[in-house]
Amino acid sequence: MQAAWKFLAPGQVAPFGGVRWPVPDRGAPAPWFRPPMGEVFACRVADLPWWLDAELWEVELEGPVSTLESQLVAPAGRLLRRVAAWDTSALHDYGAACARRARELAVQVLLEEGRAAEAELLANPTGLLEMARVARTLSADASVRRGANLAGYVAESATRAAQGAGAAAANIAANAAVIGRRQPSAFDLEREWQARWLAQRVGLPQH
Amino acid sequence: MSAARPTDIACQEVVDLLTDFLEGALDRKTRTRLEQHLVLCPGCTEYLRQLRLTIGATRRLSEAEIPEQVKEQLLDVFRHWHRGVE
Repeated sequence: MQAAWKFLAPGQVAPFGGVRWPVPDRGAPAPWFRPPMGEVFACRVADLPWWLDAELWEVELEGPVSTLESQLVAPAGRLLRRVAAWDTSALHDYGAACARRARELAVQVLLEEGRAAEAELLANPTGLLEMARVARTLSADASVRRGANLAGYVAESATRAAQGAGAAAANIAANAAVIGRRQPSAFDLEREWQARWLAQRVGLPQH
Repeated sequence: MSAARPTDIACQEVVDLLTDFLEGALDRKTRTRLEQHLVLCPGCTEYLRQLRLTIGATRRLSEAEIPEQVKEQLLDVFRHWHRGVE
């Protein structure tokens, strides 16, 4: 038996298989679920940023559990409890946090390029849409080089975050990190930061 | 915005893979990449939803429900199609 986490679409529906998971009843774990496809998938905390959906559940996995690159797989699983702290507000805040981190990196790069005025412009906005607007303007200025490229990512990430598309905002921020830090490993490091943010926000143990 | 990581997948590739995905014919790595794309892409998610609806609707059809005249017209179209004529 292994505890893990599972994102589901509204109504406890598996997002890709379309099958509804049985739910816990009066505090007791749900019945074991063995899907028609033969496998259930779940997340470690580190996997969460890859699989965001409307509902987050604590699950128990049964049988031999395999660890894949971004998920766990087992023959059966059952829902234990819904993580109530994961809701649309948390999703919005997550996307905003990711976009702001991309913005911090872009500001840092602009300063390194000697573009203090542009860096200040980008650092100022408090709202996502204003951040996106300023970043888009800076991204059109080819003279600010890498900083301009990063500003384009900030614009896109902030726009997606404002639309409630937190998963996309986070993915764009992780791609921005690769450009900003000039290291391929920056993507995975950013994903680790995002996983820690999610776990802290909704109160999951971070191991 | 999807080119920085080599595991990313493009929408066009998703469209090409969805039939195999629905038939469970993809290898695990490709299926994972496709599912990760779906998490990020509402357009492809909607396309998959419509594909599932279409498959479900056609499964409910039986031969008897097709009027004879429509059946003949369809067969005629297919015959010409195979001959390379529209």
